[in-house]
Amino acid sequence: MPSENRKNRTKPAQSSEVSLAETLKAFGCGFATTAKHLLRKPITEQYPEEKRQLPPRSRARIVLTRDPEGDERCVACYLCSAVCPVSCISMQSAQREDGRRYAVWFRINFGRCIYCGLCEEACPTSAIQLTPDFENCRRDILTLVFEKQDLLVDHGGKDREYNFYRHAGIATDGAGKGAHFDEDQPVDPTTNLP
Amino acid sequence: MLKLTIDNQPVAVPAGTKVIAAAEKLGIMIPRFCYHPALGSVGACRVCAVSVLKGPRTGIQMSCMLDVEDGMVVATGDPAAVAFRRQVIEWLMANHPHDCPVCDEGGHCLLQDLTVSGGHGRRRFPGKKRTHRDQQLGPLIQHEMNRCIQCYRCVRFYREFAGYPDLGVTGIAARVYFGRFREGTLESPFAGNLIDICPTGVFTDKPSRYKGRRWDFQRSPSICIHCSLGCHTTVSARYREIVRIEARFSPTVNGHFICDRGRYGFAYANAPERPRQGRIDGETQPVSTALDAALERLTTVSRTHGPDAVACIGSARSSLETLGALKRLCERRSWRGPFLWPDAQTARAVQTAAACLAPELRLSMKELEDADFILVVGADPVNEAPMLALALRQAQRQGATIAVCDPRPVALPFAFEHLALAPPFLADAIRIFARAAAGPPQAGVRASGGDAHPPDPNMPPAVQARLAAMGATARTCRRPVIVCGTQIVNSRTVARAADTARMLKSADKPAGLFFVLPGANAFAAALLSDENGAFNTLQAGIADGHVKAVLAVESDLPAAGEGLAPALKSLDLLVVCDYLNTAAARAADILVPTRSVFEEGGIFINQTGCAQRAAPVHVGGTPVAQTGGGDHPPRTFERSIPGAEALSAVQALDRLAGTETADPPAALADLHPVLAPFASRKWPDEGQLLDLSSEAAPSADWPPEEPPAAGKTFELVVRERTFGSEALSQRADCLRPLEKAPRILVHSDDAARLGIAAGDRVALTCAGGVIEGTADVRNTVAAGVVIVDRHRELNWPAAGAGWVRIEAKQIHKIEKERER
Repeated sequence: MPSENRKNRTKPAQSSEVSLAETLKAFGCGFATTAKHLLRKPITEQYPEEKRQLPPRSRARIVLTRDPEGDERCVACYLCSAVCPVSCISMQSAQREDGRRYAVWFRINFGRCIYCGLCEEACPTSAIQLTPDFENCRRDILTLVFEKQDLLVDHGGKDREYNFYRHAGIATDGAGKGAHFDEDQPVDPTTNLP
Repeated sequence: MLKLTIDNQPVAVPAGTKVIAAAEKLGIMIPRFCYHPALGSVGACRVCAVSVLKGPRTGIQMSCMLDVEDGMVVATGDPAAVAFRRQVIEWLMANHPHDCPVCDEGGHCLLQDLTVSGGHGRRRFPGKKRTHRDQQLGPLIQHEMNRCIQCYRCVRFYREFAGYPDLGVTGIAARVYFGRFREGTLESPFAGNLIDICPTGVFTDKPSRYKGRRWDFQRSPSICIHCSLGCHTTVSARYREIVRIEARFSPTVNGHFICDRGRYGFAYANAPERPRQGRIDGETQPVSTALDAALERLTTVSRTHGPDAVACIGSARSSLETLGALKRLCERRSWRGPFLWPDAQTARAVQTAAACLAPELRLSMKELEDADFILVVGADPVNEAPMLALALRQAQRQGATIAVCDPRPVALPFAFEHLALAPPFLADAIRIFARAAAGPPQAGVRASGGDAHPPDPNMPPAVQARLAAMGATARTCRRPVIVCGTQIVNSRTVARAADTARMLKSADKPAGLFFVLPGANAFAAALLSDENGAFNTLQAGIADGHVKAVLAVESDLPAAGEGLAPALKSLDLLVVCDYLNTAAARAADILVPTRSVFEEGGIFINQTGCAQRAAPVHVGGTPVAQTGGGDHPPRTFERSIPGAEALSAVQALDRLAGTETADPPAALADLHPVLAPFASRKWPDEGQLLDLSSEAAPSADWPPEEPPAAGKTFELVVRERTFGSEALSQRADCLRPLEKAPRILVHSDDAARLGIAAGDRVALTCAGGVIEGTADVRNTVAAGVVIVDRHRELNWPAAGAGWVRIEAKQIHKIEKERER
């Protein structure tokens, strides 16, 4: 019987009379708590005067990192823009003179970004990473549109080692066929020897 | 029909069907790499394994190699089969490089799809990966052999299906290598199909290399407009730029493939020099201002000199809607036109062809592949309509005999008999063939040919004997077919070809007729214009001062015929509506940019009379790569799309006509009775076949043609090339390296008589100017013929239109060049 249940619940406890002792006790406890916290070291941080170190994996402003050799990691594979639920990433891939695929331009609209981190998860080269830097407010919304030069940083972010072009198997000026990890020298297709 | 059960679903298929094809009929896609409907089975990849539960041999079987049997029970999802397939994928991936992020195939890669769906994620094999060195295969195809999974699709297509020998397989075991013997450009004009059929990224598209991923493209079904065959294509666009064109399956037209002209000829749509804004007397103006000015000035000319002083020109590359709007404009304003033909001979030939295409004679390309005897007359398939060569090749693979009567040095990727005959002989050649094909005269059976002229005494007897022998062969064949061109022959040859096909057909055989027309919409032009709509009529009008103003819609006038360019200078007003930056557009007083087929779509009627519709791909506008100047797009935001101001040609012409067409396809219904189906906007996917054959075919009685006097006069033939001739595709930079150097060709006997050797510089003095070029001497050129390549480096428009005869004294050797 739902209606009866509701009636029972809404009935207040029939103790309208509160004793003086109880009142005083309640007051005392309240003041004691206040006094205790008055003397304790405050836990509130005085942001923005004091800035706290956030965990390295917290998700805020996105950067494009570089490989250990200092070259751009992003190969403009379009996986981040494909996975982005708000479509805030756009880019144009092209071939660089040394044979590497790279982003001619790379744009993230932080006015739209929801910092979900899916782009970082999708990135096969550890290029796109979220940083703890969350202070990214602007008065002009257009300044929230970051181009490649605004996004590029000069370090490897959370992944210091990985270098995609050492694994990729495609010939670049840096490494020819057979010069990548886990690769044999190119075979000679004209020989019939086993 | 055999009945079998696949995954608990019954299906009935004809005997000889493979299990993989039977499953496809049920909508079950069994994984495959090497199997392809056009290439058949080879059993190389082992990934189509299924479990046969009941049948002659049970257990795991390769479904592409297994013929269906009555009562067979097959399970595709059987755990044993799934485990087998998973292992196959793991083996195939053992040597596959770790480069999906930088591979252009990623996103539409069959290997990627099957690897992900099979659950393989981590390489367990501890050994090193086998690597290959890649080859430079020319400007169209990027080679990356590390990715190969040895499915053999590429060589099976390239060598067996297309018939070109320069791509092959070498090596054994893990070293199997697919490439050329030596690095170099692939010779086949169908090489681009390697990109489509390669199930992984060994062959990828080079012009669109690293342009984007399939999932980011705007894609639409379209129709190729680079020749008259109307192959089905899928167009991809991104950031307002056409990126890539791929073949779209069509059961009747092109099957699974297209040629490289159709695949790579789209660069005109992205060209930086493409007109995007209006222009009045050299000053850039908004499109609507230019249109208003055009209307005002054209009306002024019309009012001052009479409506006859304004002529309207179109071309066979416009859509049917545009041609229809042009026709309506001419009718409404009483202006001259529409002029759609370079010369009256071509107009007559195409109109005859359209009128001869009776439904019972007309063949689709698919049906052509079924022929067992094919006579090609006055057509050069690889150069005029490349996919026709591929269809002929399929017929030849199934045992067809193929003969070509053409003055040009025809090259086809298979063995065929070439009879090099000058154009005036072609009509007689068909008659000799038809006589022999008809057999000994019988009472009541009409001999073919239609006229009683005796065989030409000027035709070499050996050739006449060969033609008679071919006719005799055709008589015994199950399905003889006549393929007839319309560019270098006259309407008499076309009508004879049709007569012969009709005669062969009446002998209780599914014989047929196949035409090659000049231009994507030549059939539509034949519907809406006649031989009075040829440029020489217009030229005479301009010369005698009757025509004061010309409105040219999507037509490049100076390239269209001799003498028209100087004639244009004497005009009071030239208005050009075009999406190309043609010489006419540059010379125009008023330029109105229009939208290309990728932005507007349109109906194109192919050479079988099949009206097919191309859907628009994107809204148009200047490509982002151009507005950004190579860097990121501009950081300004506007409501309008830069460079998308252009109207469709139909809208522009309607503004000039002072009308408004709400539904351009439906409005076509009034123009010609056969276009009536367009009134009810129902559009079948396979296109709408139009039948003109009820109209009276032109008379078959012509006077005999005067043959060229041996060694004294020469027929001048302008030859189209696969790359470099066609108006749109010649603007593609990636096809430039594939263009063959333009030549002036003569037969070796004629060359000896004229004192010309291969490599000499020659000058042909024609009515319209001098054609200067490098000579080439071939035995495969017909005697008495001089062939000039239609190429921008040669002054071929000077040759004039129709059949042009020049005398030996008009051919000079330029001595200076030789000394150098």
